[in-house]
Amino acid sequence: MSREIKFVLNGAQTCVAIEDDWNLLYLLREKLGLTGAKEGCGRGECGACTVIVDGLAVNSCLYFAVEIDGKEVLTIEGLAGADGTLHALQKSFVSNGGIQCGFCTPGMILSAKALLDENPQPTEADIKQALAGNLCRCTGYVQIIESVEAVVDKSSGDINAVVRETGDSD
Amino acid sequence: MSNYAFIGKSMPRVDSRAKVTGEALFTADLRLPKMLTGKILRSPYPHARILNIDISEALRVPGVKAIVTGRDVIQRKWGVFGYTQDQQFLPADRVRFIGEEVAAVAAVDEDSAQRAIDCIRVDYEILEAVFDAMESLAPTAPLLHDNFPHNINVHVPINVGDVEKGFAESYYVREDTFTASEDSYFQGEPYAVVARFDTDNNLEIWMPNAGPHMKAKPLSNALGIPLNKIRVRKITIGGAFGGRSEIAPADLICALLARKIGRPVKIVYTREENSIATRQGHALITTIKTGVRQDGRVIARDVTCYMDGGAYSSTGPIAVSVPFLCMEQAYKMEHVRYNGYRIYTNKPPRGMIRIHGRAFACGVDTQLDMIGEHLGIDPVTMRLVNAREPGEFTNTKSHVASCAMKETITKAAEKSGWNDKWGKLPPLRGIGIGCNSVQTGFPMGIRGGSQAIIKLNEDGGATVISGVVDNGQGNDNMLVQIAAEELGIRTEDVQLVTADTEVTPSDPGAYSQVSTFIGGHAVKNAAENVRRQLFEIAAKTLNVKVDDLKARDRMIYVKDSPDTGIPLKKVVRMILAQGKSVSGQGDYWPKVDPKREWVKNPFGQMCGAFSFGTTVAEVEVDPETGKVTVLEVTAAQDVGFALNPLVLEGQFQGSIAMGGQGGILTEGHVWDGGSVLNPTQLEYKVPLACDMPKINTIIIESNDPEGPYGTKESGMSIAMSAAQAYAAAVSNAIGVYMTDFPLTPDKILEALQNKVESETPNQNEDVMEKALELIVPAV
Ligand code: FES
Ligand code: FES
Repeated sequence: MSREIKFVLNGAQTCVAIEDDWNLLYLLREKLGLTGAKEGCGRGECGACTVIVDGLAVNSCLYFAVEIDGKEVLTIEGLAGADGTLHALQKSFVSNGGIQCGFCTPGMILSAKALLDENPQPTEADIKQALAGNLCRCTGYVQIIESVEAVVDKSSGDINAVVRETGDSD
Repeated sequence: MSNYAFIGKSMPRVDSRAKVTGEALFTADLRLPKMLTGKILRSPYPHARILNIDISEALRVPGVKAIVTGRDVIQRKWGVFGYTQDQQFLPADRVRFIGEEVAAVAAVDEDSAQRAIDCIRVDYEILEAVFDAMESLAPTAPLLHDNFPHNINVHVPINVGDVEKGFAESYYVREDTFTASEDSYFQGEPYAVVARFDTDNNLEIWMPNAGPHMKAKPLSNALGIPLNKIRVRKITIGGAFGGRSEIAPADLICALLARKIGRPVKIVYTREENSIATRQGHALITTIKTGVRQDGRVIARDVTCYMDGGAYSSTGPIAVSVPFLCMEQAYKMEHVRYNGYRIYTNKPPRGMIRIHGRAFACGVDTQLDMIGEHLGIDPVTMRLVNAREPGEFTNTKSHVASCAMKETITKAAEKSGWNDKWGKLPPLRGIGIGCNSVQTGFPMGIRGGSQAIIKLNEDGGATVISGVVDNGQGNDNMLVQIAAEELGIRTEDVQLVTADTEVTPSDPGAYSQVSTFIGGHAVKNAAENVRRQLFEIAAKTLNVKVDDLKARDRMIYVKDSPDTGIPLKKVVRMILAQGKSVSGQGDYWPKVDPKREWVKNPFGQMCGAFSFGTTVAEVEVDPETGKVTVLEVTAAQDVGFALNPLVLEGQFQGSIAMGGQGGILTEGHVWDGGSVLNPTQLEYKVPLACDMPKINTIIIESNDPEGPYGTKESGMSIAMSAAQAYAAAVSNAIGVYMTDFPLTPDKILEALQNKVESETPNQNEDVMEKALELIVPAV
């Protein structure tokens, strides 16, 4: 059955017709042209499809599209400022080498953002735990964890400011 | 060294921005006008004759636009070598593994394609199958390929010196057998292909690849169209690790579908398809007999290795040789014999993987520890006594120009606190060391060299044209670094046109660790050529000699008087005003022995340089669960010269994750006959962020005389040595030499149990439990 849903996508009110059996990843990639979220497994095992829904990092391949009706969705495409200024996490991944092939990167950054939004001063163990659902075959995770830690090391006020600035969905 | 502007400096990669914003396009992200979705029908049987394929019903499925089967292909088998041509893509007669391609559909969407796949009727005659390499060798085993007797795909025999004499002269000789199951690449990105033909019948094709030119030629053969009509395009690639190097059946299938219907087609593999129908790593049985002097120095070694190659050759001769070569490069010995066999079985074909031959490498090092224990020599000394030294020749006659193997051993031992830990750790804690050496390049025949073209624009910016591909390791950045350095411009002034067979000259690809050594070298030579053109004009203008000039930060200066200079852009414009262009080419061919051949003549210079790596790992084993916790890993590699330490460290860390953490502790396929029981990430355990230990990386620079800036391979000899170190550390922790990899908890518990039983004369269970308590500290 098809129906219409309304949600906030990267800050913009969005209204689309969907089928009941679509998942969010399919909607984003195939219907809305947002290919930043990747499909690494399609069954909740790799985290490459991670997006943020109402502040929580979710595997969009397991998330029914109907369920985002009335919610806010942030994808990697919506993380940088409108003028192209990178989010602190994006900058940090670039400068600390948290990227190799880049396939896991969008999901990794969004999982890290959801963590920092909830806990601006995570420990290394918190970071490792928060990223445990995001597989990376290239980096061995060290520079990814360092990329997140480098953002945490700044004052917490700074972090909150950055997060607010880029979470321009409200 | 410090005189460089970019070389040797840690710098973020040029491709990072597109990757953090989600703008970088991978193959599956492409969408072309009128594009269709392709799906592949795969064999459900490990071995069967195809009697008939009926596509009539499938063609009637709404939305279906084209179907291809074995009838649509040129009957010409693919093989990396002339003597290994054994794989017919889309076979018309016979399938040899579960998952082999039988037919394919292009339809308006995935659902329609899948419905049509379900409607294709294939009549099979099921044939007897074989799933074990040793059983496959038996005279009664079904033959997979008629022209390969005994199912032996490749036999590499190497015999140097006189091993029997060596054993006779040895103080101590021992023989052990080591085994490992198949492993898999699990690249982040599942395989995908997009293909389309333009109005002139040129094929444009995108796919993850480790060398666009390595894909183009076999595609040209398989499609029967000239090479200049095959345009393998550049695309972001989500990892390779050895698994993206040859043509894949899906490449041809996608092109056939696109040609048949005249529309673009996209095929995206599921995770399962990526595991069963691209390539896997080989399973190995390796028997190593080693004879040593009293001081631990190896005199003679006799190795027999059986590799389960699956149904087809893939890179067979290379795969059989490389584990042997790594070992002969790393360690000295006078006499050596090797018999490596790659055996066909009815399982998915196997290729080279980042820790290819883990049972071989871990076997050699585990046995060194066994011998050391017998002789009362510690593992570090055992390795120092045997370590390769610069200026020597390997047994198969490769000259090793640069080599800091000994430094990697001493530095890694020092940093890891080896002397304070070896033999002094509490029960169930262990420390281990592994050493390895990897080739910077394989003999690649006419595709062994690379050529680059550089043109300068009137604004002083450069366009670099090169066949080098970036699979994720940072090759694009490497090219930009080199071009900017040599031309004296900024990295943002360099634009790349790379990895596109329409325009880029031939290149060996990001295969066999040669991208910097060969492709980077060619770019360096091209840039030097262009710089010379600039300097000739600048010298006249500034009234100095060409040799007195240097280029830096968009200026051409007189070396000793940095105030005298001229903007580079101005020099470009002066040349253009004379009616000349500012461009040039450069190429590089490695100095390898052209007569060297993997099977027929495995002697002579193998490649331009060799890297050397040592890893030390410290672990703790939980005797209740058999789980291994890795406490600290120290990796030291002789990389020649560190072009970009930030990228290099990432390579080291990734290598430890894949080689040690995954490769030794968790990764291995399990089977039910010819079916892989763990094709997905849920069951096949690749390391997670929370699994990773503290890692120390040590970069050692031996400045290779031939490598550009002194560089050679980086990362691979860490992946290999990490596997060896992890294996050694676990063995050390539990006091049992482990010989079957990966070292999963069940095997560790069994080893602990057996150890207790063998140390307990009375087999009474009560006694055994007490004994277990003794070796297991109270929780
Ligand atoms: S694609 Fe969603 S978790 Fe892998
Ligand atoms: S960077 Fe390649 S999977 Fe993470």
